[in-house]
Amino acid sequence: MARRVPMLVVVDRGRKAELPPECPLTSMADVVDPEERLMIRYAMTRRLALVAASAFAIIAQAEATAAQDVVKIGVISPNTGAAARYGAFAWRGAQLARDEINAAGGVNGKKIELFQGDSQCNPTEGVSALQRMLSQDKVSYVLGDVCSSVTLALQPMVENANVLLVNPASSNPQITYKAGVGGFKWSYRNYPTDEVRAGVVLKYAAQEKKIKKMAVLSVDSDYGRGAIVLTKKYLAENGVELTSEDYYKDKEADFRPILANIRRSGAGAIIMYGLADTTPIIARQMVEAGLAGKVVLIGSAEFNNPQAIAAAPSALEGAVEAAAWVPEHDTPRNKAFIAAYKAKYAGEEPNIHAYFFWETLRLVGVAAKQAKSEKQDDVRKALATITYDSIMGNVNFDDHNQANLPMILFELVNGKPAIKGTFSTKIIYPK
Amino acid sequence: MTNPAAIAIPSLKPATADVDIMPTWLGVVLAVALLAAPVLLDSYYLHALITSMIFLLPAHGLNLIVGYTGMMSLAQGAFFGIGSYVSALLAMHLGTPFWVNFLAAGVVTGLIALPLGVPALRLRTYSFVMCTLGLVVIGETVAKNWISVTRGDMGLSGIPRPHLGFGVEVTTITGYYYLFLFLAVVMTALFWALVSSPAGRAMIAIRDNETQAEALGIPTWSYKLIVFALSAAFAGFGGSMFAHYLTTISPLTFQMYYSTTILIIVLGGGAGTIRGVVVGSLTFVAVSEALRIAPELRMIIYGFVLLLLVFWLPKGITPLVDKVFALARGRST
Amino acid sequence: MGELILEQIINGIIAGSVYALVAAGMTMIFGVLRAINFAHGEYYMLGTFSAWYVISKLGVSYPVSIILGIVMTMAIAAVVGRLVMQHLVTAPFQSGVLATLGLSLILQNAIVLGFGGTYKMFPGGWLSPVFIGDISIAWQRIIILIVTIAMFVALELMVARTRMGRSIRAVSQNIECCAVNGIDVERVVLATFVLGTGLAAMSGVLTGPVNVTIYGGMGEAVTMKTFAVIVMGGMGNVRGTLLAGWILGIAESFVAGFIGLQYRDAVGFVILIAMLMFRPTGLFSLQSRF
Repeated sequence: MARRVPMLVVVDRGRKAELPPECPLTSMADVVDPEERLMIRYAMTRRLALVAASAFAIIAQAEATAAQDVVKIGVISPNTGAAARYGAFAWRGAQLARDEINAAGGVNGKKIELFQGDSQCNPTEGVSALQRMLSQDKVSYVLGDVCSSVTLALQPMVENANVLLVNPASSNPQITYKAGVGGFKWSYRNYPTDEVRAGVVLKYAAQEKKIKKMAVLSVDSDYGRGAIVLTKKYLAENGVELTSEDYYKDKEADFRPILANIRRSGAGAIIMYGLADTTPIIARQMVEAGLAGKVVLIGSAEFNNPQAIAAAPSALEGAVEAAAWVPEHDTPRNKAFIAAYKAKYAGEEPNIHAYFFWETLRLVGVAAKQAKSEKQDDVRKALATITYDSIMGNVNFDDHNQANLPMILFELVNGKPAIKGTFSTKIIYPK
Repeated sequence: MTNPAAIAIPSLKPATADVDIMPTWLGVVLAVALLAAPVLLDSYYLHALITSMIFLLPAHGLNLIVGYTGMMSLAQGAFFGIGSYVSALLAMHLGTPFWVNFLAAGVVTGLIALPLGVPALRLRTYSFVMCTLGLVVIGETVAKNWISVTRGDMGLSGIPRPHLGFGVEVTTITGYYYLFLFLAVVMTALFWALVSSPAGRAMIAIRDNETQAEALGIPTWSYKLIVFALSAAFAGFGGSMFAHYLTTISPLTFQMYYSTTILIIVLGGGAGTIRGVVVGSLTFVAVSEALRIAPELRMIIYGFVLLLLVFWLPKGITPLVDKVFALARGRST
Repeated sequence: MGELILEQIINGIIAGSVYALVAAGMTMIFGVLRAINFAHGEYYMLGTFSAWYVISKLGVSYPVSIILGIVMTMAIAAVVGRLVMQHLVTAPFQSGVLATLGLSLILQNAIVLGFGGTYKMFPGGWLSPVFIGDISIAWQRIIILIVTIAMFVALELMVARTRMGRSIRAVSQNIECCAVNGIDVERVVLATFVLGTGLAAMSGVLTGPVNVTIYGGMGEAVTMKTFAVIVMGGMGNVRGTLLAGWILGIAESFVAGFIGLQYRDAVGFVILIAMLMFRPTGLFSLQSRF
């Protein structure tokens, strides 16, 4: 509705302004106080100039003090926006590894210097961060990203630049389908994709726990959906039937409509491939809907996270998970990693991303040591043949530059993970 | 019914004023600088320029809606996504040359927008904004669940580099730069021709007073529908460039990020002017990249930049650009 | 089957109540400012975070944290309102868009910066279930429903009876006339803004125990839902907002329950667009505000 007002004088805290008759409400700013705005503008210009000057001074200083003998490594992860909750772990894990390696004398005597790049879980931003690292910071290695869509966009870019990309966190199978003999020479991945895991989890639930009807409730991403595609390959041989198939957005907080269905479907398990922060939501709403104790969670979503267990202990009892790392893995090195992480970050518990960024940076360091060189081409060749002694066991890479990782299968018993087996991942590549 | 005038458009100068304002010598300097950029700048700056040119075309499209018909839309992210998928699917399945993919992305996106515009354009200004937001969410859901075509969340990766015909394939960042510069210049010229044509004047009439425009015999409804489709087509062109540059897309291409970035470029640059949007696309990419020196503070500072803009330059960057042009003109004569 | 439908309706009404409570604030702010508040979900997030902060760092009980969470958010909103929102009264449309997009980035990422990236779980709340036949619901959700209805009744009374309420109504109808008649427009705008964000914070604190996980970006999804609700209810129409919230909630529950969770967000918008084809001004009224 065009609100036509007659010519009038608006009295507003002593300011006077004439409002032209045809002018709609919204354009009054145009006539209010040009002088005051001018004053503000000058003040702001001065302040801005000052800020800019001091910023440049800091940069110049940083550049002057940068040592020549360093290994420059970029870390790309989401640091702002909704996905920042995953990226923060990644960056902290990498920083911890840097400090430890540097304290132990560095890589072949050279210190590691890290550069942080923010991807916001968005390929455009991720590629910008990478380009900046390549031509401004002149990094030789890049770790990243958490989000598969960003990693896929980084792959062709590092290929042109001959910089080594080691991915510690994306699970889209395409990433290594296209690497190694598949094409990209400069992409490696030290993170499991779910070819074997899906089968192991399903088999355990069907044969040991005797569950034959299951419902799917996984995250709506390449990770969650990809795991279910692989799970389906093993349904027939285990005699399992899926009662429903739902995928949630990673911002979802209301699962009651789905749980209401699952309660009536007779499913004995919910197959969930997701990230740790959704686990307590689903678990608590399972308690609320009366599913706790009747339906177990299986898959992979850090069911063993102590905060998640604290949020809904009865719903997580009996949960089955296959994971590439668990904090409870009982070795001195794992305990030392967790203790160091907590000491550095005010008691914060590391998650799987923190672990993999930490481990992957060490992996690059060890490969450089074996190659007796920090040149990325030498390290790349070393990675192809390396047998890396990780916290969880030996890691080596297949001809698609994909790590074959040791995995743990556990079941939550009395709120603690009980290890039920170990296995190694292996990818079957499409012909 | 509708009152598009609720959006206050800063400049009522005809769009044709654009070329008069920039002094010739500055134009020549800029043209030479743009052509020489790959010699002068390293790949990071070229990449930033490429990014701003990818955003420029969807921004032109949005400018058509906001600046020339007075509505505001958040649908550019959806059309950007559609364009990227159309272009990628053509290149991957049919191996068509880049020009075909590029044009098809625009045309198909425009055609898809046409039926969507019919219900959307019946809405009033604010309802229209939110309805267009819904298109982004719906687009993402379709891309995620129409797995036989889009491969769902796996996304499309390995999209071929742009084939220009005659065996020419763009692979280097310099190649992309010149290709996209060419497209940006041609599309901007086309956009300029459109808004300074009689049709463009009719659009401005609709923006300024729809009822009066209708009374003057302008078929306002058809114009608005065509504008909506054209703006979508421009977003589709941008999507095509995006897909061929990154060589991978996923349902995340349908993201509010693209809608809001493009909106910031148009409103912050100065809706209703071509120079505002061109400078806006350069400025906002530059600001966002410059802030990478402080990764954790980056988005907070970016937020403050937007606030400063609102209070410091409420009409966008355009008046500042004009001042620079006037200054340059003064010195040149 | 009948019981499942009933359960989905109950789920929908409770989810919809949360949408409505957030949207009521946004629609009032829209009424007085004519600005779409892209940052509205951030106040929902701030409410949850403030309550989480006082529970986990200061050790206060959940009921106290409800009050503190709302008060802290309103205090932040008062500062934002004074420094930014008040100036949007007379500003052109695009200023409101840019300013609130900027505020959204600032608030969201300040929380990310301030509290880091760990997983955070909301403690407290009344989670023991109530049984309605075979259907069980946490007490917390019953409380959300009761509080929402009470808040809407209170809002109705306020806009009808109190001087501030009448001022809000007047400002949202015609700013110039208010100014001429001696209503302090800026004060009304500030009050409305603080009140509206308080409602968002309230629903944030109340949903904390059932939504469990909290993080800086959690407001985004809420803002999107809120947009759909305020359009459906008729922009600036508080009463319509409650019904629209419930309709969207029930529709989403049915879609999630009977079609698939992955279609939920999109179907909400499809329904919105379909409804708007028949009632472009929203479902409940042509012109009325409040």
